[in-house]
Amino acid sequence: MSGQPPVGGDSGTESDASRSRRLARWLRTRVENVARIARWEVTKNAGGVDRRTAAIALLAVLGLGAMAPVAVSQGVALDQGIYRVGVVQEDPLYDPVYLDPTFRVQDPSSAAVEAGYQEVMVVGPQVREYADSTKGRAAVSELRSTVKRYNDGIMDTEDNQSAAFPVVVNLTYVDRESSRVTAAQTQTIPIQTDENDEAGDGDGSAGEGDGGDGSGGDSADGAADETDGSAGGDSGDGGDGGDGSGGVTRPGEGSNVAGSSIGARLTGGSSTGAPSDITPPFPFRSLVLAFVFVLPLNFVIQAYGSTILSERINRRGELLLVAPVSRGDIIVGKTLPYFAAAIGVAAAITVALQAGLGLAGSVVSVLAIVPLALLFLAATFLGAMFARSFKELTFVTVTITVTLTSYAFVPAIFTDVTPIALISPLTLVVRDLQGQAIGLGQFVFSTLPPTLTALVCFGLGAGLYREEDMFTQRPIPYKVLDALAGPIKRRRSVALVTAVLLPFVLVAELVVVAFAYPLWQAEIPVGVIVVALLVGIAVVEELAKSLHVYAGYAHALFDDRLRTALVVGAFSGLGFFLAEKLTLIVRLADLQTLPVGQAAMGEQALVATGVPLPLLVGALLLAPLALHVVTASISALGARRGPRSYAVALAVAVVVHVAYNLTVVSTLVR
Amino acid sequence: MRSLLADPRLTIAKRDLASLSREKTIVLALLIQLFVAAFSSFLVVGLTSLYSPGSVSAGEVVVGVAGEHDDALVRAANDQEGVRAIVYPNPDAARDAYHDGSVHATLLATDSGDRIDVAVIAPQESIETTLIVDQVRTLLESVERTERIARADHLDNSPVPLPEDVDASPYFGFTYTVLVPLLLFLPPFISGSVAVDALTEEIERGTLELLRVAPLSLVDIVDGKALAMILIAPAQAALWIGLLGFNGIAVSNVPQILLVVTALTTLVVTLGLSLGVLTAKRRQAQLLYSVLVIFGFGLLTFVPEHPATTVAKLAVDSPTATTTLHVAAYAVAAVVLFVGARRLVARTDPEGL
Repeated sequence: MSGQPPVGGDSGTESDASRSRRLARWLRTRVENVARIARWEVTKNAGGVDRRTAAIALLAVLGLGAMAPVAVSQGVALDQGIYRVGVVQEDPLYDPVYLDPTFRVQDPSSAAVEAGYQEVMVVGPQVREYADSTKGRAAVSELRSTVKRYNDGIMDTEDNQSAAFPVVVNLTYVDRESSRVTAAQTQTIPIQTDENDEAGDGDGSAGEGDGGDGSGGDSADGAADETDGSAGGDSGDGGDGGDGSGGVTRPGEGSNVAGSSIGARLTGGSSTGAPSDITPPFPFRSLVLAFVFVLPLNFVIQAYGSTILSERINRRGELLLVAPVSRGDIIVGKTLPYFAAAIGVAAAITVALQAGLGLAGSVVSVLAIVPLALLFLAATFLGAMFARSFKELTFVTVTITVTLTSYAFVPAIFTDVTPIALISPLTLVVRDLQGQAIGLGQFVFSTLPPTLTALVCFGLGAGLYREEDMFTQRPIPYKVLDALAGPIKRRRSVALVTAVLLPFVLVAELVVVAFAYPLWQAEIPVGVIVVALLVGIAVVEELAKSLHVYAGYAHALFDDRLRTALVVGAFSGLGFFLAEKLTLIVRLADLQTLPVGQAAMGEQALVATGVPLPLLVGALLLAPLALHVVTASISALGARRGPRSYAVALAVAVVVHVAYNLTVVSTLVR
Repeated sequence: MRSLLADPRLTIAKRDLASLSREKTIVLALLIQLFVAAFSSFLVVGLTSLYSPGSVSAGEVVVGVAGEHDDALVRAANDQEGVRAIVYPNPDAARDAYHDGSVHATLLATDSGDRIDVAVIAPQESIETTLIVDQVRTLLESVERTERIARADHLDNSPVPLPEDVDASPYFGFTYTVLVPLLLFLPPFISGSVAVDALTEEIERGTLELLRVAPLSLVDIVDGKALAMILIAPAQAALWIGLLGFNGIAVSNVPQILLVVTALTTLVVTLGLSLGVLTAKRRQAQLLYSVLVIFGFGLLTFVPEHPATTVAKLAVDSPTATTTLHVAAYAVAAVVLFVGARRLVARTDPEGL
């Protein structure tokens, strides 16, 4: 791709000193070139936005900033008036219904309920009738939680606090050597907590609020920020803050999270309050804030994508291509300003959160955003190399936004629930904002796959950063094959490409595993999930081992002898096998605590099972190696014959792979 | 009077749509939609588990109970589904049971003079912690209610009686108030963005000159592009609604919702095309477009009913007169802005682009 550093064996006579001098010169050239291109990018392309545009944009952003507190204090209730309740003013239920904007008060009428114009009809102190629909039931359920909140609100104003809050709860989280709980129910989940307890050694000071147990501990400002009695626990949605006059806690945006919260995320810590103050450990606020970290990336990639594509329109990028700089310099130089902007924004957000909200965000948050920023930029770069027009780029950018935001955000929802959440670097941000310690192993596990994936994307895009692909309208499939076949110089390099594609495989497999988690929650039999997982994983791996082999054949890089196909297949399998040993880092995240994780990690999980050593070595090394070589050879044989037989061979390879894994897993997980 | 089919504006619209479908971008857009639709159920489950974690899992929680007030806890546990209480003779036995793993959590109820002190011991960092804590909270809230009623003589206001506990989907409110509006506002935003591209790209590549060789005014060209982009969004929204229905989320008042989507699309497409004509540069137009659309969306929080709420109320079939007024207002605003933008375009000198 770019100029190679002049190290290694061109001549053995060279002294070390002159070699290091040459290396230094090479490095200096790189840095100078990159810096120059980055400077052009900033001056020329940022100059593409004139002062008036910048001023309008700035004003709009400032306007948004100014609007935010006003909008928040008004309380944007999205669920305003979605349920209609028939209740008269004399009823005890009138006040809670009237005060909660979710409900609209109507005259009670049985006919209206029948006709579907009223969800709930209240007569006297009780719900007399409700519509027999999902909506009606949801309305009753919502009414129930509203009344609970209302009751806690009026109890706050009572003089006799011990009668108002007769129960005081002290919640302590204690670790234990746990096993199955013998419940007379369908399925219990084996909980295996790890002894070395590396997860979340919080300092125990987050949100030790007084839980607002009476005495009007809520500051009566009504603004929906965390300035209520409890000193910002981690899951209050900030919707409360008694409004002083009626002392009624107003629900926040459509959620029924208790407003004041106890810091229930404390390792071995404890917390005290009324029952309704107990919040299950949900990093709600940290999640919302983590989203703020991801949001700016979407704007950065818009600008970045358009600058890359504009190089390709009207042959504008030709001047740089013929300039005495390498392809790598151009790409790094053009990317650097945008990467710096993304990281700068992340750092600014972290500082703002520390200063403004007193959160525990640290440099870890910023570091965790680095792989995400790289991934966003790399995907956009690749997309911009493939896109044929700005219109198309817009769609590509939206796809990247949706996909990568989901990838970052969805696993982070399960931060405190399962270690699988660590597949997203955003989980690190959430943990960091909560002031939990993050182990080096966890950090590496979380950030390495996306970083490697980003580098590979840049590599593939760089393969297309040449005249034939940049300024022509080559069809997409050919471009894909160009990008894959680019690095293949001889039969050996197939192994290298397979190894390099492994990050994609890792990320794709982890996504497959993450998909299995909700299935598992939904009580689908573990056997079914494991088989589905294995099929998904086999498809991913076989594609990664054979697609570039097919590209090589399509580019006529290999002759069509049988022996060649077998050699290429063997190289591909070997490359995959060597790279796959990297997946041992999975152990760092303790994925084996879950049966699903064990299944996904297949042969790797053997390490933890205590099989005799010779067997273990055999199973760990020889069996998977043989498997990968065999399946890769199968698909290589198909690729030799053309697209259709390649598809058939690929299917056969997947079947073989699944069969092998099923055998391994069934001997492992009993 | 030109015949309708030969209207050059239609030709422009067809040309733009054809280029979209030729580039397979429409297919990509539909793929995104399918992806999100497939993901939306998962997202809903994930996000609503934030609100009510108990909704996720269906296992039974076993709690060990000990202390003076254990009878109150047991009574409450008996009334609650998904919880089973085991009484232990003394706190130590209950603690041991917790450490042995015979119970999920331990509740020790002691008397502290005028209150009941409940010490809860729950596991940390496990998959079930959330569910256990959620169930324990429900149990203790019911104990609290019972106690309040018992001590009603000491209270100035008696608590309002709770409605019965019904078996409701906890995802309902979230689905209609967040998910549906989010999905329905995505197509307009994309349409506007593509409209900016459709115009500025022609200007930057110089192909607008070629179009103007044909007997077309700039207004005709902009009209045609607007038409194409405005047509896409409601079609996408309709597809969405169909997909949601397939996912078991029924959406009511589809015509009104499509009207809102069309009106909002008209607004943002008009904005995008006006910016394209004014700046004649893609990057500036796109930047301004993104910022101004978000700004406008923020401004709309100050109208009596946010568009997201309007869509939610229509979708969930609780529309009011206010909702109808807002729908009408969006439609009127769209028409007014569109006419205004055409005037602006008519005054622009195409040679300057």
